Amino acid sequence: MDILGYLLDALTPLNLGLALVGVILGTVIGALPGLSATMAVAVLVPFTFTMDPAAGLIALGAIYTGAIYGGAFAAILVNTPGTPSAIATTFDGFPMAKRGDGGLAVSLATIASVAGGLVGAIALLLLAPPLAKVALAFGPTEYFWLAVFGLTLIAALSVGNTVKGLIGACIGLFLSMVGVAIVGGDVRYTLGMQRFLAGIDLTSAIIGLYCVPVILDLVANPDPHLKPSEAGGLRLGEGVRVAIKSKVNILRSSVIGTVIGILPGAGGSIAGLVSYSEARRSSRQPESFGKGNPDGVLATEAANNATVGGGFIPTLVLGIPGTPPDAIILGALLVQGIKIGPTLFTTDAPIVYTFIWGLLIATVLMLPVGLLIGRYAYNFIIKVPKALLAPTVALLTIIGSFAIHSNIDDAQLMVGLGILSWILNRYGFQPSPIVLGLVLGSIAEQGFVQTWLIGNASGRVAEMFFTRPISIGIILAALLTLLLPMWSDWKKNRRKQLSRTDDPVSDSGSRIAPEVKTRDLPSMAIAGLFIALGIWIFTGANGMSPLGAVFPWTISAALAAFSIILILQHLRRPSGPASQRRPQDPGSARRLALALVMLAWVIALPMIGFLATSFAAFVLIMLIADYDRPGLRTWAIWALTGLAICAGFWWLMANVLMLRMPAGLFL
Amino acid sequence: MKRTVATALVALLGAIAPAAAQSAADFPTKPMTYIIPFNAGGESDISARYQQAEWEAVTGQQVVIQYQPGAGGAQAWSQLNSLPGDGYTIMGINMPHTVLQPLAGSVGYKTEDLVPVHYFHYTPDAIFVRAESQFKTLADLVDYAKANPGLVTFAGSGSNSSNNLAAIRFNTEADVKTTYVPFSGTGPSVTAVLGGSTMAGFNYATSGVTQGDAMRMLAVAADERLPAFPDVPTFKELGYNIVGGAYRGVAVPASTPEDLRQRISDIVSEINKRPDFVQKMESGGFVLTDIGYSKMNDFVAARVEEYTEGAKALGIIK
Repeated sequence: MDILGYLLDALTPLNLGLALVGVILGTVIGALPGLSATMAVAVLVPFTFTMDPAAGLIALGAIYTGAIYGGAFAAILVNTPGTPSAIATTFDGFPMAKRGDGGLAVSLATIASVAGGLVGAIALLLLAPPLAKVALAFGPTEYFWLAVFGLTLIAALSVGNTVKGLIGACIGLFLSMVGVAIVGGDVRYTLGMQRFLAGIDLTSAIIGLYCVPVILDLVANPDPHLKPSEAGGLRLGEGVRVAIKSKVNILRSSVIGTVIGILPGAGGSIAGLVSYSEARRSSRQPESFGKGNPDGVLATEAANNATVGGGFIPTLVLGIPGTPPDAIILGALLVQGIKIGPTLFTTDAPIVYTFIWGLLIATVLMLPVGLLIGRYAYNFIIKVPKALLAPTVALLTIIGSFAIHSNIDDAQLMVGLGILSWILNRYGFQPSPIVLGLVLGSIAEQGFVQTWLIGNASGRVAEMFFTRPISIGIILAALLTLLLPMWSDWKKNRRKQLSRTDDPVSDSGSRIAPEVKTRDLPSMAIAGLFIALGIWIFTGANGMSPLGAVFPWTISAALAAFSIILILQHLRRPSGPASQRRPQDPGSARRLALALVMLAWVIALPMIGFLATSFAAFVLIMLIADYDRPGLRTWAIWALTGLAICAGFWWLMANVLMLRMPAGLFL
Repeated sequence: MKRTVATALVALLGAIAPAAAQSAADFPTKPMTYIIPFNAGGESDISARYQQAEWEAVTGQQVVIQYQPGAGGAQAWSQLNSLPGDGYTIMGINMPHTVLQPLAGSVGYKTEDLVPVHYFHYTPDAIFVRAESQFKTLADLVDYAKANPGLVTFAGSGSNSSNNLAAIRFNTEADVKTTYVPFSGTGPSVTAVLGGSTMAGFNYATSGVTQGDAMRMLAVAADERLPAFPDVPTFKELGYNIVGGAYRGVAVPASTPEDLRQRISDIVSEINKRPDFVQKMESGGFVLTDIGYSKMNDFVAARVEEYTEGAKALGIIK
């Protein structure tokens, strides 16, 4: 066995050290929203030029896999995916943390990530050349249907509230169209503004849509952010028992993750969403998903770490990067003078196999490293006073959205979308369908237009869409996901015959607000605005090329149609007593103040400078978030902590990540 | 802090040393920043990384590569002139992107706003088919396209790109009707060719190196045959007047003084002569060009004329 021999090459102290440092660094970077795996790998590439190729690859691979895993921390503890691949982790991870099971969720995420990472890496080790063919079997049609499959998850995520979910998806799909179109090349819906040319950045949108509402709610009441756990700690033993019981789920999700990782352009977020959807479908209690079902966390985390190994398969075998970090690693290999491609596994076998073993070792190291960092992060979030937690999380959202492109426009967009998201969420439009639309929109659009072009060239458009075998499989899976929740919902309604007010599963921390069964004027007003938006999108598409206009036309028509349906639904309901519906919220003043501070923060930042603005905002948010009224001494300590945190992140960004910081009056 | 210290140092130096000591001859005296307006891993990144490996030997200073992707490069180019013009910040620049984008719509900059100082290489367009394809030569493909108008599909990287221009040009030159299918970059479009989603692809010659025997290059849009592909004919040899591809160079903010523009152009020229660099680039399918600052105006004018013509064919302008 030659392959086993390379294991020894990977076990040198240098390689082990690189794997360990890489995993630690990756996990921390991944846990901070906005600091992505791509960024971490890009910064470190030059350092690997002087290393031995295999050692350099191990370092990069370890950072990559660590970052994908680290994304789960932020998703579980503050409801914000640290990396886009952890989107579906928030669905159940945050509700678990809210009800006091945060430690357990972290343990589960760690176990699932290691398991998924191992499945992906073993597939890379043993089956890479044959599996690379999967990448080639997926044409534009399959990508289109895969995106549609991902969108069907909305039906499951918004049971009892489907129309609002569909409207949210249309909004997300619309946001995905903003900017220069890949197909057609049209400049779409930028309002003539430079900042929208590159489109709505996914990571800043995710941070805004998920995290800003959490901070706004955080300051609105004196309750602790997460309910403290009764058992305490990470509850590893319990986690292992849960994971063993769900071994089928973990294995299935890992395989899904590996296969989707192989598809160039799909990536960890789609892998997480698809396996989440599959886990929900095959579960005996699908209605508990989205309310803190451990299987949701296990499925997503197993799948997204499996994409690491999977993504390396087309990268190394075909020279086609599976994911953005793979693209950077591919470039690093080329600079080192290594020829990527079908012959790599034979000509450069020592490098490739040493690297794959290194990746496996790094994945195993994630277990102790992750549990250690996880315990620390969890305790920090539980114990830190609210007056420090709220400004720190707010600072992280600003940093994260700024750091992606060193662009303050992204941070401004993040705050704007975040406040919008909080308002929409209050009226039953949840963020997840919007995010799904945004993630899947461009894949769906490109797949659709490409399929149409190819089909039209040979006069077989319908055959192209509906008769390819893999497509048929995906369509069937999508139909099942779509119809099953509707069917069970219908069955349940038949059985009960009354409006379902009580829920079988505890509703604490649920993101699905109980639907108001009376006529809701604000919802109708918002729907009216969406109809206007739909008309604007439709007329805006008139000047575009046919390729670029197809999707806007379809989406705007759908948006208007769903909005009209929503208004009609509400018109048919009895109008409820106005006074009872929305009790005055005592935290509104604090919420409003926080929203204003965050807006002022991102507006003043480019003029005044990062450090000065951030520290001022930090202190203001401390005041807004405080309920304890401590003594002057405590205030001084908190302010100093705030200064240290702001300065530390400033230094990290300016000198380690080498971002271009805004040149304001001060630092 | 770092910036303040650096500014203070520069001010101090300016006060002590005579102005001549700051001249272009000494440039650079500290590490430079090289912004790539695309994601890492593409041709722009890889060629810049090859340059980076030689940078210190030529200038005595290192260069730091940063990425500012977005809107097919427009995000970065529209901000180029707001960067300091001290020569220490340079940016990758591409053709036909910087001509076609402003023609297609309002992208925040105009072609003549940008100051390229050196175009150091291009990647010629080339027609590829997968190994199993029925087309063994370009003549096979042209015959088939003539017999079946519209049926031949070409995968390429993006709309209004160099690949797209070449595909349109090929239709005119060969008097055939083919369908161009835009993909979101080289990777996905090569995948479409390899997987048989499209019959052929208009990609860059560099893809031929990474794919080896899995893809066959039928013709390349260069003046002469490429060293890496001595057996692949040029379009010219076959009677089609198609030469072109994506040109890549280095640009500076418009506020950069003339002597520094020339100096940076010289640095890039010198790197272009380093044997290691030449070897890596040519075996990768890149074609080196030596279009320095002095030749820049003529070069840009010629390209603008050519691409404006192409933009009409693409339907971008009437």
